[in-house]
Order: sequence, then C-alpha cells, then structure tokens
Amino acid sequence: MTRPRRDPRAEWAAQFVAGAGLRPRYDRTRRAAAGRPRRDPRSEREAQRVGAAARPRYDLGQAGRPLGEAVVAPPRSVPEAPQTIIVEAPAFLVAVVPDAPGGRLSGHDRQVLGAARALAGREGAVAAIVEGACEGLGAAGADRVLRLEAAEGYDPAARAARVEAALAALAARHTLFPESLDGGDLARRVAVGLREPLFTNAEVVAAKGLVRPARGRRVEQSLAAPRFATVAPDAAADYAGPPREARAVPIDGPTPPPPKSILSATRIPADPATVPLSLAEFVVSAGNGLTDLDSFRQVVAALHATPGASRVLCDAGLMPRHSQVGASGTVLAATCYFALGISGAPQHLQGVAGCEHVVAVNTDLHAAMIERAGLAVVQDAQAVMPALLRLLAQETAGRATGAGKAP
Amino acid sequence: MRIAVLLSAGLHPVSGAPVLPRVEAQAIRLAAGLAASSEIFGLHAGPEAAAVAEALGQGLDRIEHVAVAAGEDPVPALVARLAERAPDLILAGRRSQGGDESGLVPYALARALAMPLMPDVVAAAAAEDGALRLDQSLGRGALRRVLVRGPVVVTCHPDAPAPLAYAYGRARRGRVETVAIAPVATPAPALAAEERPYRRRPRIVKGAPAGGSAAERLKAATGESGPAGSGRLLIQPDPEDAAREILTYLRQIGVVAAPAEPKT
Ligand SMILES: Cc1cc2nc3c(=O)[nH]c(=O)nc-3n(C[C@H](O)[C@H](O)[C@H](O)COP(=O)(O)OP(=O)(O)OC[C@H]3O[C@@H](n4cnc5c(N)ncnc54)[C@H](O)[C@@H]3O)c2cc1C
Ligand SMILES: Nc1ncnc2c1ncn2[C@@H]1O[C@H](COP(=O)(O)O)[C@@H](O)[C@H]1O
Repeated sequence: MTRPRRDPRAEWAAQFVAGAGLRPRYDRTRRAAAGRPRRDPRSEREAQRVGAAARPRYDLGQAGRPLGEAVVAPPRSVPEAPQTIIVEAPAFLVAVVPDAPGGRLSGHDRQVLGAARALAGREGAVAAIVEGACEGLGAAGADRVLRLEAAEGYDPAARAARVEAALAALAARHTLFPESLDGGDLARRVAVGLREPLFTNAEVVAAKGLVRPARGRRVEQSLAAPRFATVAPDAAADYAGPPREARAVPIDGPTPPPPKSILSATRIPADPATVPLSLAEFVVSAGNGLTDLDSFRQVVAALHATPGASRVLCDAGLMPRHSQVGASGTVLAATCYFALGISGAPQHLQGVAGCEHVVAVNTDLHAAMIERAGLAVVQDAQAVMPALLRLLAQETAGRATGAGKAP
Repeated sequence: MRIAVLLSAGLHPVSGAPVLPRVEAQAIRLAAGLAASSEIFGLHAGPEAAAVAEALGQGLDRIEHVAVAAGEDPVPALVARLAERAPDLILAGRRSQGGDESGLVPYALARALAMPLMPDVVAAAAAEDGALRLDQSLGRGALRRVLVRGPVVVTCHPDAPAPLAYAYGRARRGRVETVAIAPVATPAPALAAEERPYRRRPRIVKGAPAGGSAAERLKAATGESGPAGSGRLLIQPDPEDAAREILTYLRQIGVVAAPAEPKT
C-alpha cells in the first residue's frame, strides 16, 4: 500500500493565477486535487453572521461553512422496503429440514436457517424442505423451497423416506437439521437411510467448520462442514439480512411409503395441574398480596395454567412446597408467568428469569415485579381475579348459547 | 415376550469413571415393568464385559457380552447377535454417555434389522393382540400415545420414570456371558473429526440481530428491546378492563386458547 507521491511543483502550477501582473500569483484556497479541503476561517465566520445590522452578530451554534461553497446534501431517500435478494444460479445448495410444527417456523428452525445461510455465503443458496404450507421462509433466509405433500398421522419412517427422496434429487452440498425431538429423530433416520455419517448436535456452525461437544463436554470435535449435521438449539443466530426469495422448486411424484407399523397415534396434551413446575408452559403464581386463595385456584383452573407461589405462601402452608417459584424453589422455563400480589424479591425473580412474558398484578406501583412485567396492572388482585373469572364465564356461556360475542 | 436392553459402556460426565448411563437404567425399568413373565436380557458390544456389570444390580439377571475391539463400530456385532436372538422389543438409550453421544446406534440397528423405531419413549405397556402402547415425550410434559405392532426398537427418554434402586444381592446373583459372533453387516461410515479440550462459548443473545451493533446486543441482553422494555403499565384501571387487557395479552402470546367461535 503506497500513497500517491505528491508533486509540489504540479500543485503550485495548478494554483497559479494567470494574467495577474508581473509577479506570479497563486490562489492557495484552490483545493488540491486530493486530500482534505483547506479551511477558510474567514468565510466560515462570515457564514455564521446573522442579520445585516451595523453591529455584527454571529450564531456560533451553527457549523460554519464557507459562503461560496454551497453544500448540497444528497437528498435523503426514504428508507424503502428492503429488496428481496435473488440468487439466480447458486454455486451449491445448503438444504435445511425445519420441524415447522403447524406450518410455522419455530425459533430453533430460524436458527438452523441462519446457520445454513452462514454456510451458503454469497454464492450458495439455502433450500428449505417443508411439509405442506409454511410461512416466513423467505424472511428466515431460504432461497428455495421444496414442498412435500403433507401426510396425515404420525409416521416418521414415511416422512424420512420422503425427505430422503427430496434430498437425493436436490444434491445439496450440506444438509442441516435442528437437534430437536422430531428433527433429531428425522436426521438420524435420513442419515442412516442414505448411509451418510451424521455430525450431531453442532454448537458452532461456520463456513470454516462445525464443532460439537463429546464425552460429557470434556472434548469438542471439529470438522470442515460435513454433508449431514444437526444444529443444537441456541447455537446459531437467526438470519438478519433482507428477505430472500423462497422460490418454489418442483419435486418428483410421491415416493412409495414404507410398510406401516404404527396402528394409531394420539397426542395427549400436558395436564397443567400435574405437569412439573419446571416444565410448565404457563404458570399463574400467588404471593403474599393474595388473601382469597379459593378464587386463585379457580383462576388457575379456568386459564388452564400450572399453579405457583412465592415462598411466603409456601412457608405459611397455604400452598404446597413443590409449587414454590424462585432460587430455593423451582426455576421456571415457562413461556408466560402471571404473578398476582408478588413483590418480586430477587430470590423470586431468579426463578422467573427465563420466562419470556410476565404479567403482574400488584397494588404497589414500585414493586420489582411491576418493573419486570410486560403487562403490569396496578390494581387490587382480589378485584381483578373475580373480574377475570366473570369474563371467562361469560365467554363460555356465550359459546354455549351461541348468542354471546367474545370481546 | 423377549426383550433386549442395549447397554453401552458409559463414563460419568464429571468424574469420568465407568458408570451405567441413567437412561439405560431407565430402559431396564421400562422393560421390567412391561411384563414380569417375559425374558429380559442386556446386550453389550465392547472390549470389556466388566463395563456393564453394574446393570445387573439395576434389575437385569443376565447380560450378553459380544467382544468387539476398542474403537470399532459395535453395530455389526449387535446386529448379528440380535438377528440370532430375535427379541420382540429392543430397548436402547436416547444417547450414550461419555462417548460420541451421537445416538445413531439404535437407528443403524433398526435399519439393519428392518425394524421400526420409536424414539423418546417414557412409558410402555402391552396392548391387545401383541401390540405395544408407547408414550413418547413431546417435551413440556406433553405425550404422544402410539400403538405399534411387532418387533420394534425403542429409545428411552430421560423423562421416563427414575431407574430402580441398585440391589447388591441381585448384582451378585446376575451373570455376564460372553458370546462369540461373526459380524455380517458392514460398519457405518465414520467422520474423522479433530478433537481438542472443550471450550464454553457465549450463548446467542435472543433477539439480537446478527451483524447488529454492540448497543443493539446490549439492549437485547438487558431485555430493553424485548417485551419487558416495551412493557405496558395500567394504573388503577377498572378491574373489568384490567381483566380484559390481561386476557387479550395472554391470547396474543398464545398461552390461553382463543374463545371458540359461537355456533351460528
Ligand atoms: C435465602 C433466601 C431464599 C429465598 N428463596 C425464595 C424463593 O425461592 N422463592 C420466593 O418466592 N421467595 C424466596 N425468598 C423470600 C423472598 O426474599 C421474599 O421474601 C418473598 O419472595 C416475598 O414474597 P411475596 O412477594 O409473595 O410477599 P411480599 O414481599 O409480602 O409482597 C407482597 C406484594 O403483594 C402486594 N399486594 C398487597 N396487597 C395486594 C392486593 N390486594 N392486590 C395485589 N397486590 C397486593 C404488595 O404490594 C407486595 O408487593 C427467599 C429468601 C431468602 C432469604
Ligand atoms: N457398544 C454398545 N453395545 C450395546 N449397546 C450400545 C452400544 N453403544 C451404544 N449402544 C446403545 O445405543 C444407545 C445410543 O448410543 P449412541 O448411538 O452411541 O449415542 C445407547 O444408549 C445404548 O443403549
């Protein structure tokens, strides 16, 4: 790296003012071809002058600009909608098989798509293989989409056979799966079916290579990006660039399903009343501010939630010990925490740290729980609980008679 | 019913001492609970028989050991022995412990034996005419109840009931038999990965966009950009309004089911 060599002689020559008498004259304000523009303090000061009164007044707050040189700022364009990125002829493909439960990408699916995007780089394209309709694939980073026809019922072997056929036709350089319950199962079936080695539970996914823990996390194994890999949760970042095209790719006709061995499959939803607090999805919790525990129990049952409590209530024997939330109780992994009359002591908040959404009802505006909540209601919990019950009862009644209208 | 429980030589994750992996002990309990009259045996392929002797005290009476050189793929030997014994149910752990922890062995076995595989089972019971009723874990306490027929490979999930207590007398009475076998299947392709000591990595901050600035990451980490930052505060609302707001919020985040449409 070398700077262009200065030529002082030529610089002087460029500043020469022709026809100014015998003595040579040079205009030193003329800007040199390269480098910083020369400041002209005199004209800057003049630009700050306001009004034309006899006594000069200057507005020093405004950045001085030389008078002669009008600064034309490029017109600020309104930030337009980001353009869709189209990869017309990808050098290679990175396939992703998201779980997409119910036709919607899970957070883990988005991370795997982000990891695939990192592997694909600028030349490659990410191809998502989904069953049935799935929304938001382009925004999550997919350039191509293969839609397999959705099958009814639970038949992992048949699904694996369909994915195997799609992957064989796609000839992707890498294939990534989420290391979730269903995704990890599918990945192993597909890898064994195609007789390919599988790099499981990758915690780092980069173009340089993948890394996975092994032997009880005492060693880590790294490898240049393999053909088949599963990606651990929270290991890769979501794709954050402008949306991708998600162009539909046609696939061949249906593959013959393998022989069925599953006679029936039914989903048994978790019973919120008996599910362990650490696994519960939605916890409604009572604190020292509650006196009416009967309506609390009714609210819990009406909302189909798992009951929790602060330590004060457990110590007093009003709630069972196994329902205590907090540092010396249970640390929650719930999606939503609904706190009624809880102040939010640090020991209690530790148990709630992992919850995504918090709703709090408390009479004290300055309680820590109110600060932590996504929806905070400063109101008497004893009044809110019956109102909630009435509202839910109204809705049920409206449904039963067919006349009521849900708000 | 003949049940085979696959036992791997596990290492304790902290001390590194040989130990029976907990999921495999849970698998033994599933087998024991399935039918008292059935024949249950453990099966291990590896260089040492002593590695799995602990399983005798956890509820097995007999373990078959197939000698396989250290570092070799156990699947061909296991396939050969299982084809000979033809069990009605093969129970395995979800992942081994202390090795590669890839969880591929049961899948390779199921493929080689042409048997269906049911993953992540937490409970098993016999149903009518020889079928099996299996409960699969779907996470967060939800289950899927599956009825399957015929010889099947099942992997056990850590949410299954806790293993039986170790019984010293049973461990003394049980025996480990070494059987000779001529492997037939070809070993699975292996990955040549490079190993180094494990290094903890920072977790991805949820909600921080990739390539965002440091200020954006800090905001995401402290929760200012999340729902907590944009929290709504209602001060002394009418209780009815408060209840309506709370219910709308709970429906919006999807933890409370939407009211069913009234029938017209
Ligand atoms: C070592 C140690 C470990 C601990 N571990 C835990 C733990 O694991 N879990 C835990 O919960 N605690 C734990 N604690 C106790 C903790 O410090 C607090 O004492 C406890 O969490 C307070 O419970 P609370 O919020 O229910 O009660 P309070 O602090 O008494 O708060 C009651 C709240 O209710 C509000 N309120 C009053 N009346 C009403 C009304 N009518 N309507 C609405 N709101 C009303 C008040 O404004 C107040 O904010 C621990 C303490 C120690 C020292
Ligand atoms: N050498 C082995 N002998 C018998 N069973 C094994 C062996 N290795 C693994 N298994 C079984 O396969 C499961 C998954 O192992 P892995 O695929 O190594 O994670 C284990 O929990 C065991 O039940």
